[in-house]
Parts: sequence; structure tokens; C-alpha cells
Amino acid sequence: MLEFFRSSAVRVALAFVLVTTAATMAVFGLVYFQIREANEARNRLILEAEAAKSVNRPVDELKSAFEVRLTHDLRRIDFAALFDSNRKFVFGNIEELPTMAVDGKAHYIGGVRARDSGNLEPAIFVARVRPDGNIMLLGRSLLESYAYRRIVQQALAAGLVPMLLLALAIGAYFARRTSRRLNTIHDAIAKIMKGDTQLRLPVGYRHDTIDKISRDVNLMLDEIVRLLVQLKGVGDNIAHDLRSPLAVVHAQLERGLESSSDEQLRVVAKQALAHIDKAMLTVAALLRLADVEYGPKSSTFRSIDLSAICSDLFEFYEPLAESKSIKMTLETQSPVQIQGDGDLMREAVSNLIGNAIKFTPDHGSVRISVVREDGLPVVRVCDSGIGVEPAERDKIFQRFYRTSSGHRVPGSGLGLSIAAAIANLHEFDLRFNDNNPGAVFEMVGRKR
Amino acid sequence: MTNKPATHPRTIVLVEDETEMANEIRGELEAKGYLVRGASIAEAADAARVGDAAMMVMDRIVFGEDSLVTLEVLRKEGVKVPVLVISALSSVDEKVKGLKAGGDDYLTKPFAMVELVARVEAMLRRLEDVRTTKLRVGDLEMDLIEKSVHRAGAKIDLLPREFRLLEYFLRHPGRVITRAMLLEDVWQYHFSLETNVVDVHISNLRKKIDTKGMPSLIVNIRGAGFMLNNA
Repeated sequence: MLEFFRSSAVRVALAFVLVTTAATMAVFGLVYFQIREANEARNRLILEAEAAKSVNRPVDELKSAFEVRLTHDLRRIDFAALFDSNRKFVFGNIEELPTMAVDGKAHYIGGVRARDSGNLEPAIFVARVRPDGNIMLLGRSLLESYAYRRIVQQALAAGLVPMLLLALAIGAYFARRTSRRLNTIHDAIAKIMKGDTQLRLPVGYRHDTIDKISRDVNLMLDEIVRLLVQLKGVGDNIAHDLRSPLAVVHAQLERGLESSSDEQLRVVAKQALAHIDKAMLTVAALLRLADVEYGPKSSTFRSIDLSAICSDLFEFYEPLAESKSIKMTLETQSPVQIQGDGDLMREAVSNLIGNAIKFTPDHGSVRISVVREDGLPVVRVCDSGIGVEPAERDKIFQRFYRTSSGHRVPGSGLGLSIAAAIANLHEFDLRFNDNNPGAVFEMVGRKR
Repeated sequence: MTNKPATHPRTIVLVEDETEMANEIRGELEAKGYLVRGASIAEAADAARVGDAAMMVMDRIVFGEDSLVTLEVLRKEGVKVPVLVISALSSVDEKVKGLKAGGDDYLTKPFAMVELVARVEAMLRRLEDVRTTKLRVGDLEMDLIEKSVHRAGAKIDLLPREFRLLEYFLRHPGRVITRAMLLEDVWQYHFSLETNVVDVHISNLRKKIDTKGMPSLIVNIRGAGFMLNNA
């Protein structure tokens, strides 16, 4: 039960009931207050006006007017009386002048007894001195007005109760509905956490916030599952990439120990070292990839010039291209400024150029260009090399993937993954195109 | 290798909590003729303050404590001992942090021992560097002001990048220089390469500075890098 009240849906419903009640009561209170005030104010005005009008009439005219007035007053709510200057009763339906100022203004008197009734009742009175020195008293009983007030009060109270019940019912309905949906989601999440990664949160036909969040969570789960699968693949790849050199090292060292000469042992040890170096290269590349993906934040970005970075790398790689008689050309316009990390961008472009030279046979060509296309910065590396088989194009950006034809070329298989991660960090896309023959790798800034 | 042990064994203070790693480093450095003293962070700081260490090799995290904090304090006190920081924290940010705190070089685990030794030697060598305008090894002479290079009196024309490369070798004669050191110090590239482009640069440089029929000035050191023969 406590659990029930803790749920946010129930809280919202209770708050709804509370607000509804408060608003209703405020409206009712205002209505009641207005009615009460308006009624009393009107009575006062009428009495004062009447007193002012009749104060100068002759005594017998006043007397007959009073009589007419009192005879017609079947409900007996009017008071009218005349007193002499000594406050002695002359005529009327009230025998004693109440203790009040004789000033022609309306005054409230808590308890007054009429001549013909024994009850005390509340009333409003106006007393005024006539030209002949007598005092004229006019009044109106509030008994009726109080009864009227009570009726309004009762009516309002009677209206409030069903209003409250209705609010409670609506609140309870929504609370129940929401908490039931949340519970379904809660159960689904519990099952997913227990390992049922194929399960998804229920999404209804409504397009409300809960559905929207459920849909987002489902997308997130899809991504997590994809990453899990990828992670497992990566794990397998790491195991494979490290196990094969380790197995080779193991075999070599065994052979070395069995050999008779020291010279042979030295040769074996050197070979083993080379394989261990390769394994370390892989580990370093993996760590590097993790750094790029989870490390730097764009807060450290500064303005960098892609043209300058590319011409710098062009100069760096030129001797390598020359050594394979590859014709390497650079095409840069004016500076292409972007916000980024210079070291990382250099690394990404270096990987692309290194790859292009690596996979291009002797006497081929490599073309590097830095341009702005449709306002977007583009770094493009085209080669006339072996290209990428159509079937393999989706996979080349995956970790550790090496094209079947590229297996002879040494490398960690992580270069493109690192380049792609760096591009992504800079809100660039790394894309592959066919160069017929050869490959085009381009990094293109994303539209904002 | 032709490295002669230094004439006076110099003390290197080693701060490393992994016993095996510490033993490996100690073995390598002692084989080069250095005196290696293991120390806690506090002991290392004391040694540095009294000038009892030619240089320090410091692991970044020692028994859960960040050695950079102490290093920063030392630098504030004006202690100038060269420090090589080694660490499993490899991100660029961490590297920058290490250098900012006062480290003179930063090496990421895993590394090859030759890399460590080469950097230690380069660092100690840097201390001996005098402000000089001419560098000379054998009959090869470099004028840093005129930006010219002569071998046995004959002028050699070098591209600017070749000049910088040769200058680096001339500043570290007889020392092993790794590819990573060249990438970082000559080209300012802080990443590793999967191509042999550095080797191509070296071989181009050799073609220009070597005399026919003579052994090359710059030799390959297998599994490590290169060395400028100063014999």
C-alpha cells in the first residue's frame, strides 16, 4: 500500500484531486461571499435612502405610512417606529430604541425583540432625528437573509462532494492506468536485465511520453545488443590476433630450446621478438582506439587547418611513395579551417594516406585533395590500388577487418577503425567510394 | 651494440610498484652501466631534492597514488631533475597532463625496453647539450646557423626535413634512436605508424650523406631503431 502511494502516477493523481478541490472551493467561496456582501450592502442603502426620504413627513402621515407598511409586511421583516425626543415609544412595532448612534446611517444590531414576537433576532437599523425632535427608526430583519445564506452554503457543500468524488475517481483511473503501464515496463526491464536481451518494452498505439520513452529505450537496447555482438566479435578477434603470434612464439621458443647451437637459439629468439612486437602493436592500436572513442572531449578543440595538415603529411609520405614509384599528388585550396584536435586529425589522415600507399602497387598513383564542397570540408584520398571488393565494403570500417586480398599486407587492421572513430569525434563521416580501379576514402564534415 | 658503459655510473631513481616491471627496467639500465635505485614516491622526492638522482623513471600510479602530484610539487620547489613518466594511461589527455606536471617525457605501457633505454639515454644526453652552433661527427659537420652540411669538406644539399632528421642524429651520436622518438621529436607526430615511412626517410638521408665504399654513418639496430656511429 505504501508502495502504491510512492508511485509517481498516484502522486500526480492526488495532486490533481487536491488542485481540483482547491479551485472548486475557491470559486464557491467567492460566489458565497459576493452574494452575502451584495445582499447586505443593498439592504443598508435602501434603509438609509428610505429614512432620508421620510424623515420630514408629518407625524400622522408617517404613522399611516408605517401602518400600511407593517400590515403589508406579511413575512415580518420590516421594523418601523417613532420615539419622542426622550426616547419614549410613540408608535411602531418595536418598543425600545436600540443602543445606537442616531445619525441616519445603517447599523447592525445583534439582538432585537419585535413587539409581536418573543424572539431575539439580528437586524439592520437606521435612526434619524426629525425636525420636531422625535426620532424615527427604520429597520430590516436579517433572519431571512441568514436563512438564504444557509441555503447557498448547503447548495455549495452539496456540489462540492460529488465534485471531489469525481476528481478522486478520475485521479484514481489515471493513476491506475499509468502505474499498470509502468509496471509492465518495469517487468519487461527486469526480464531484460536477467538476460533476455531479445525482449523489448511494450509500445502502444498512443503517442504519449511513455510510448516515446519506451521506443527510445528499445532503440537503445538495439544499439546495446549490437555493441554486445560487436564486442564479442572484437573479443574473438583480439583473442585470435594475439593468440596466433603467441602460438608462433611458443612454438619457436620450444624449437629454440631443443636446438643444439646457441646461434640457432639467437635466431629463434629474434623471430620470437618480432612476433611479440606485432602483438604489442595490436594491443597499442586497440588502446589507441579506446582512447579516441572514449577519451577526448570536443571542449579541447581548437581551430585547425586541414590543408596545412595534409601538405605536412604529403611531405612526410612523399619519400615512401617515391620508393614505390607511386605518383602522389596534392590538391589544396586556400586553408580549410575546422574545429578539432590537430594531432588526432593528422593521425586519421595519416592512416588514410598510409593505407593508400600500402595498397597501391608500384607505378600507381595516389591523389590527396582538401576542398570545401557545398560549404562542407572534405579530405579525399584516391588511389589506383587493389580497391575493395563489393562484398567487403560494409566491413572495412569494422575493427580488425582486413580484406581477404590484403592479408599479405602487415598491419593491426585497426587503422581505418581509428580513422573512422576520429572522424566521428569531429562530426565527420568517413566514406568509401569506388575509384575504378582503386579506392577513394573521403572524410566529409556533417551538415549541422 | 657498441654502447660503452658510462664512465661514471650515474644514479637513476626508479619508482615502480610492479616488481617484475621494476626488475626488467633495473636489469636493462644496469646493463648500460647506470646505478638504479628503487624508491617510493616520497624517497624519490627526497633523493631529487638533495640532488642524489641524475634522473628519475616514475610510474604514473604507484600503489594507488598519483606520482604526478609529487612531481608537480617538486617542480614548484624548483627541482629540475629530468623525469620520464611511464604509465598505462595512454590517452593524449593523460600524456599532456604528465608533461604539464613537469615530466620531460611520457612513455605508455606496453613499451619495448629498448624504447625506455633509448629515451633515458636521450634525456641524460640532453643535459650535456651545450649551446652549440656546429655539430660534428667524424668528418660530417653541420652548421646550425648557415643551415649547411659538409662531409669531408664537400657540401651536401639536404631538404629541410632531411636537415632536421640529421640534426637529431647528430645531437644523439652513439645512442639508439627509436622510430617513435623520431616521429615525436622530428615530425611532432604523436601516433604510431603501420608503414615503414621512417625507414624510407632514413635511407634517403643515408644516400645523401654516405660516401661510397664506406660503411653507413647511420646503422640499423634490429628490433630497436637506428644509431649514428660516432666511432
